[in-house]
Amino acid sequence: MNRNDTFSRQHSVLNLIVYICGFLLFWEWLKPLESFTDTGSIQVFLLYSAFCFFLSYLQLAWWITSPLKLLGLLFVLDGLFIRESLLSLDWYKLFLMDAAYNMQAMLSQEWWNMTPLFRSFLFLLLLWLLSYLLHYWFIIAKRTLFFVVMTVIYVTVIDTFTAYVGNVSIMRVFLVSMILLGITHFQRITQEEKTENFEGKKALRWIFPLFVFIFSSSVIGYAAPKFNPQWPDPVPFLRSMAENAGGGAVQTVIRKVGYGENDEQLGGSFIQDDTLVFQAIVDEPQYWRIETKDFYTGKGWVRTVQEDFVESLNGQIDMNIFSDQVETEEKSATISFNRSQLLPKLIYPYGTERISSASETYYLSYSSATGEIFARSNDDNQLMRLNHYPIIFQEPNFTFKALRNIPDEDPEFIKQTYTQLPETVPARVMNLAEQIVKDEPTRYDQVRAVERFFRNPNFVYDTQGIPVPRDGQDYVDQFLFDTQRGYCDNFSTAMVVLLRSVDIPARWVKGFTSGDPIDGPGNLPDGMELYNITNANAHSWVEVYFPEIGWVPFEPTKGFSNMADFSTGLTLEELLAGDTPDLDRPEQEPLADAWNQTDVENQGAGSGQFNLFSNVSKTAWILIVAIVGLSGYFVYRYRFHWMTWWKRQQLQSKPDHLNYQNAYRFLLSLLEHKGMMKKPDQTLREFAFDVDHSLGTSEMKRLTYFYEQMIYRNQLNDEQKKKMKELWENLINRVLS
Amino acid sequence: MSQHTIIYHPTVGKLLKNIQEVMIGKDEVARLSLVALLAEGHVLLEDVPGVGKTMLVRSIARSVDCEFKRIQFTPDLLPSDVTGTSIYNPKELKFEFRPGPIMGNIVLADEINRTSPKTQSALLEGMEEHSVTVDGKTIPLKKPFFVMATQNPIEYEGTYPLPEAQLDRFLLKLSMGYPSQKEEMDMLNRTSNQHPIETIEAVITREELIELQKQVRDVYVSVPVQQYIVEMVSATRNHPYVYLGASPRGSIALMKAAKAYALMHDRDYVVPDDVKYLAPFVLPHRMILSSEANFDGKDEKGIMEEIIQQIKVPIDRGEQ
Repeated sequence: MNRNDTFSRQHSVLNLIVYICGFLLFWEWLKPLESFTDTGSIQVFLLYSAFCFFLSYLQLAWWITSPLKLLGLLFVLDGLFIRESLLSLDWYKLFLMDAAYNMQAMLSQEWWNMTPLFRSFLFLLLLWLLSYLLHYWFIIAKRTLFFVVMTVIYVTVIDTFTAYVGNVSIMRVFLVSMILLGITHFQRITQEEKTENFEGKKALRWIFPLFVFIFSSSVIGYAAPKFNPQWPDPVPFLRSMAENAGGGAVQTVIRKVGYGENDEQLGGSFIQDDTLVFQAIVDEPQYWRIETKDFYTGKGWVRTVQEDFVESLNGQIDMNIFSDQVETEEKSATISFNRSQLLPKLIYPYGTERISSASETYYLSYSSATGEIFARSNDDNQLMRLNHYPIIFQEPNFTFKALRNIPDEDPEFIKQTYTQLPETVPARVMNLAEQIVKDEPTRYDQVRAVERFFRNPNFVYDTQGIPVPRDGQDYVDQFLFDTQRGYCDNFSTAMVVLLRSVDIPARWVKGFTSGDPIDGPGNLPDGMELYNITNANAHSWVEVYFPEIGWVPFEPTKGFSNMADFSTGLTLEELLAGDTPDLDRPEQEPLADAWNQTDVENQGAGSGQFNLFSNVSKTAWILIVAIVGLSGYFVYRYRFHWMTWWKRQQLQSKPDHLNYQNAYRFLLSLLEHKGMMKKPDQTLREFAFDVDHSLGTSEMKRLTYFYEQMIYRNQLNDEQKKKMKELWENLINRVLS
Repeated sequence: MSQHTIIYHPTVGKLLKNIQEVMIGKDEVARLSLVALLAEGHVLLEDVPGVGKTMLVRSIARSVDCEFKRIQFTPDLLPSDVTGTSIYNPKELKFEFRPGPIMGNIVLADEINRTSPKTQSALLEGMEEHSVTVDGKTIPLKKPFFVMATQNPIEYEGTYPLPEAQLDRFLLKLSMGYPSQKEEMDMLNRTSNQHPIETIEAVITREELIELQKQVRDVYVSVPVQQYIVEMVSATRNHPYVYLGASPRGSIALMKAAKAYALMHDRDYVVPDDVKYLAPFVLPHRMILSSEANFDGKDEKGIMEEIIQQIKVPIDRGEQ
């Protein structure tokens, strides 16, 4: 085959299709980047890779393509980042300075300090290399299966673990890869069978049915009815196995964590989402309330109370959660929403008194029964989503003394609404509730007993593999007696149901936890801190009604702690007298809770999956293991390539008997790897004859002739070395390709 | 054999071609006979009568311009019939030595197992010592000296099989085998007019042959190849079916033959292929099989093949 033949073969229509398919698959790799990284202008990168692919396809000499690709790279960087003219010297100065800075950052491992310019530069280089690599895989080696499998794995992993939806992508990947595999397989067969010139019409006659098959089977496959998944999603299962949670619960629903309005069907797993929802500037961590629900259906929560909305033009709010008897402390907070995550309802801390905003374009409409606050436009009463508002609130401080000394009777309305349970709640739930509270003297102690009940180590905080109750199964019953694994909804709902079982009025509250404190800007007022509240902080908890005091928040969920302030409410004399023995135990506990809340939270976070850090480090570990594993695989997979390089270097640097002997033996092992094994009783000539026969050359025989002179005659002259090296290289290349 | 590069030493090539004129389809035997000739060894041909044993020896003799002698061994042959004898010359009043047929360059000892051991040993002594003793006088034999002995494997009645110690004296033991039908037809055509043996001419001189034999001695045998030879020979001693393996003389014989084979292929060094190829011709007649081998129906050739398969071919220079 002369060079022209090679050239035309490499430019055949089939190769063009292979190229296009390769590029389409590569596109599937770039597409999701936008959704889970901060990569902007993905089109530019796409264009650049198309450019690189095109140049690879043209098969020009490297000294033409490399400058072109470099020029393209600079052009992209110029367009994206550098305002100077590409022709000016300043451009390059700027770039070099940036590169130097990044080098420094990289050397000191401060990856986060790398600039977008430099990261983009590296990314473009990667695209360049990949375009070459894919060219090699697809056109030279004609091995596409590996890339196809990698693409499928990539899309599925991205789809499973990020917000990217890969449904259409996976179909595209299927179509493209089937075509790709079909064509490359065809090419490989024609090459192996040495059927030359199988191009043009003949090839088309073969390719056309392939296309028809792939498209028709895809269409049929798409339209055909499908079974539901026969296996449970293995990802949460694996994770729960790893965390030794057991249970073997079958989970059917996976949602993304965050605030949602519909709670009719609770249960199911959710995946973490650390998207920022809002930032709060406040002095102490607060639970952020949004709404309450009053009616438990056995599956979830709905609202049955009268939504008595009150309009407030001046921002005054009287939510009436707790009575005036409760001591309060006036505080302020400021809420700033992430504009992409605006909520229809306002979020607010306990004791909110006034929500003011510079804008006078809206009024507030709130309901103390449901805890909702809406902002409506003054013009057309339309709902508005506020993105920034300051709050004045009276932070309550509940005292144990008051909580323990309440009248026996609840108001009729409260009793009716907040102790109702569906008849479907099994008797064992009721029995359990009675069991828990039977020795407790006061309502407060009973509530605390129920809250404490969930601290039992049998209960595990988990967000994965949480089942949705089956038909006829009660959500709380399932959690209490069946799975004992769950997240805030499970814990809080269970607590409410248990309390209501013993006629303690309780309701279910939704909102956000306090979030993570971060380093705020320098101009924060004294004592104020900035908190990031993300979707992962969406939460639900419990409020219990105490006559004359009002609704008091409780926190049953494992790993979370109550942010409300509790104090003894005893005077110094009373404390010194120590005449309240029954107060000792409960007293110490909440105090300890309140004082150690940070510790408790961290601890809880460690065991739950609340903690960002533990997640990050786990991901990092998985990444490291994956990278090490993958690089190990590649080192092993391409061992003959890099070993060839190594042997070549050895021959170059020290061309003696030993190195030639090693090189020859390496060739033998390479041949063995390719299925041509030299039997121990075979002489080199016999083996060389076999090799030449199967490779269709005479090079092995010639190489062996020189090698024999070296080992059986002790002769190694320069000409012999030169010829041996040449033949060795030829054979290695032939075998490796 | 196809994997061996068939490049012959020019002189040997000429010789072979000449022999092939006469011997149709007997290339391998011709080549091996030349190996023995070049290695200064001797050949034992074991085959039925009429397959061309004599013709082979004669064609070799004619090709190298050497004196050809033939001894037909019979039970009543005396040692002096082989070596020659002193006869009284009444004219000159003294004993005169009449050389026997062993005094030729190339000797065909036909049906060597038909004669008495005494006569056999007279020949074998000459083969080993390159000299004969007659009437207390040692007479050196001519150079080159090449014996090709034949024996008939079919008839055992009234024969004196060569003892193992004597067999050892032969470098190679060969068998001619029948020609194929085509070769036999070819043979009929060629011999219908005049036998080709009458027409071939000598292609090398006696001196040239001696020079070639000298070159064979200079062929290089590397350490790994020597090891290969030794391993192979000692494997014959350790094989379960072998009662008595090849002696160190077997190692020397194998090396000598390999050297000749290398020179024949125009190489001045021995490769394992030479050894591997020659071993089945050099070693089997030096082994005595155990009775188990006979019960299990094993023969020397099969056991030799097994041994060759067991020995690892050296592909490194080894410790130099």
